[in-house]
Amino acid sequence: MSNTTEIEIKMPKVDLNYSSFKKPVQVSADPAAKPNPKVTIDGKVYDFAPGDTIMQVAERYKIHEEIPRYCYHPGMPIAGSCRMCTVEVEKAPKLMTSCSTPAADGMVVHTRSEKVVKSRTGVMEFLLTNHPLDCPVCDKAGECELQDYNFEYGPMTSNFKEEKRVYEDSTTKKLSDKVTLNMNRCVHCERCVRFTDDVTKTSDLVMLNRGYKKELAAADEERGLFNDYQGCLTDFCPVGALTYNDFRFEKRVWFLEKKASICDRCSKGCNIEVHSEKDVVYRYMPIFNEQVNQHWMCDEGRSSYQSLSNPLRIISPLMKYQDALHSTSIETLLGSISKELQSASSVELVVGTDATCEEAAYLKEKMPEVIKNIRLSYYNGTNNVTTSKDDQKLDNLLRMKDKTANTKGVEETGLTALKNGEVSSEIAILFRSGRAGIPKMKADQKLILWGVWTQEEIKALPSKNILGVIAGLSTIEKIGSFKNTDGILQKFAPAIVHRGNGLSVKSVVSAWKSLK
Amino acid sequence: MGTVNISRKYTATQKTYLWAIFIGMKITFKRLLQGFFLRKNNTIQYPEERRDYSQRFRGMHFISVDKNKTENCTACYLCQTVCPAECIHIIADERDEDNNPDGVKKEKRPLSFDIDALRCCFCGFCEEACPKDAIKLSRNYELAVTTRDDAIYDLDFLKRDVKGRG
Repeated sequence: MSNTTEIEIKMPKVDLNYSSFKKPVQVSADPAAKPNPKVTIDGKVYDFAPGDTIMQVAERYKIHEEIPRYCYHPGMPIAGSCRMCTVEVEKAPKLMTSCSTPAADGMVVHTRSEKVVKSRTGVMEFLLTNHPLDCPVCDKAGECELQDYNFEYGPMTSNFKEEKRVYEDSTTKKLSDKVTLNMNRCVHCERCVRFTDDVTKTSDLVMLNRGYKKELAAADEERGLFNDYQGCLTDFCPVGALTYNDFRFEKRVWFLEKKASICDRCSKGCNIEVHSEKDVVYRYMPIFNEQVNQHWMCDEGRSSYQSLSNPLRIISPLMKYQDALHSTSIETLLGSISKELQSASSVELVVGTDATCEEAAYLKEKMPEVIKNIRLSYYNGTNNVTTSKDDQKLDNLLRMKDKTANTKGVEETGLTALKNGEVSSEIAILFRSGRAGIPKMKADQKLILWGVWTQEEIKALPSKNILGVIAGLSTIEKIGSFKNTDGILQKFAPAIVHRGNGLSVKSVVSAWKSLK
Repeated sequence: MGTVNISRKYTATQKTYLWAIFIGMKITFKRLLQGFFLRKNNTIQYPEERRDYSQRFRGMHFISVDKNKTENCTACYLCQTVCPAECIHIIADERDEDNNPDGVKKEKRPLSFDIDALRCCFCGFCEEACPKDAIKLSRNYELAVTTRDDAIYDLDFLKRDVKGRG
C-alpha cells in the first residue's frame, strides 16, 4: 500500500469558548480602542467576546435560564442535536440553535417569540412520545429538566396514540456497580457519551443503532463503565435514564436541604453541595468552580459522605477504665488524661493533614500552654505522601495522590513533618479528622486519640494502650479553610449539625485550660 | 406571648342561665314525650345498629393490592409530601425481580409505610395525591385502640382486605 497519499484536511480555526459562567465582557474606557461586538437579545444590547455562541453570551449575562437545553452542557463540546435551544434570529430564514450558532455583531435574537415557543412545544411533544410516565418511581423527579421544561413549554395533550417504545433488555440495567441505566427514559441528548469521550477520555459509553432503536450501552459489555467520574453522568443526565445506585430510592430530592462545602477526600478541594435532611447527609454534588473542579467531582469523593453516618464512628468522649473504653464527659476525660500527661517524660501531638488551617494554627499556638514540653508535628500517611511535594495527579482531570485536604495549609503554619512517620514519645496524641493516615508506633505506645475515629480504626491500631478518645467534628460539621494542592485557599461553613457529643478544637482546648 | 383578657358584657337573662336551661329542657321533654306516646326512637342500639354514613366518608386508611396481593404503592412519597399533619413515614426500597411480575412498573416498593393515626386529620389529601390509587380512606370509623402503638398503622395492617371502600 505504498501508493496511498496522506490527505491533509484543513479545518478553519474557530476558538469556541467551552467553559461557561464567564464574567461579562469588559468595556474598555479608552475611546480610541476598537469597540466590542454587540448582540441584541430580547431587546437588550450585550457586549460579547469573538467566538461566543448565542448561548454563551446569555450565560455571560446570567440570562441563560431563558433558553432551555438538553444536549448543551457548558463543560462539554457542543452537539446541537436536541433542537430545544432554538431561537429566532432576525434575517435568518429558519430558527437557529443558540448553542452552536456563533454570535455576530449586530445580530438580533428573540428567545421568547411566538415562533420559538411553538417550536419548543413541538420538540417537547416529540420527546414525550416515547418517554414513560414513571415520574413517581423516578429518582430524577423534582430536579428533572424534562419535567421543568414540559411544565413551561410542553403541550398539555399528545397526538401520539401508539404504544410507547420499550427497551426490553435495558429497562433497569446495571452499567457498573455505581450507575443504573433505564433506557426507556432516555431522550438521546448524548451528554454522557460526550463526557466519556472528551472529559474523562475513557470512551466507555457508546450509542448503538440508529433512529428509533438508538440505545446507550457500555463500549465493553463485560467491563461496563470504568471511569472514576461516573457520578457526574447521573448529575447532568437531564432525565432519569442514568441514576446513581448509592442514592437510588433513598430520598426524594425536594426534601433535601442544600449547603455548600468543600470535599475533604483529596488535596484537590472540590467545591461540593451537601444534600441533607434533618442533619443526615444523603449525597454530595459538585458545584461549578472554574479554578478548582469545573463542573466535576470524582466518585471517591462523592461516596465519602458515608463515613459521617457510620454507626461505628465515635461521637462522644471515651475514657479508659479497667482496660475498656467507656463513654464519659469531656471534663472527666481531660482531668484523667492530664494526670498522665504531667507524669509523662515526653509528649507529642501529631496533627493530621486533614485539619483545617485554623485548627493547625490554634493547636500550634495553644497546646504548649496546656502541656509543657510538647512536640508538635504533622503527618499525612496516605498513598506514601509525606509532604505536599510528593503530591501528584492520578489522572488528567481531578484525582490527586494525596488523600487529605490540607497538606499545604498545615505546612504553612510552620509545623514539621513527623520523623520517619513514627511516634516515639511516651504519650502520643493523634489528631485527625477521619482522612489522614495513622503513624507507625510501638506495640505498647500510650495513645490519646482526638478528632474523628471509628471503632474499626481503633481495633486496627498496633497499640492497645489507649488512654482516651476526644470526639471531634468532621469537615462538613465545622468551620474553617483548606489550602488545596494548587495553593487556593477555600473557606467553608458547617453544612450539618453534629449528631453526637463531639466538640470543636477550640472548645476542647479551652476546657483543658480551665481545668487548672 | 402575653395573656389577652377579654371582658364580655352579659345581659341579666344571660347571667342567670335560666333561659338557656329552659331551652335545653324543652328538647329533653319533647323527645321524652315522643318516645312515650308516638313510639319514636331518637337513639340507636350502637354495636348492633349502625348509622349509614355518606359514601364519601373518610375513615381508616388502607392500601389497595393487586391480584398477587402486592401493594399498588410504589413509594413515590407524594402522600408524605402533601400530608399537612406529617403523619406518613415511608422508607423506599428496590423490589426483588422475582417478586416483580409487572416488570419495571413496580421496581420500587415501600420497605415500611407507617401512618400515625393520632396525628392524622383525615383530610384525604394523600388519597388525592396518590398516582397509583394505592392509599385510600375507607368508611370504617371505628378507630379506637387500647395502646398508642396500635394507632400507628404499618404496611401489613394497611394491606388488609377491604371490600370496596369498606
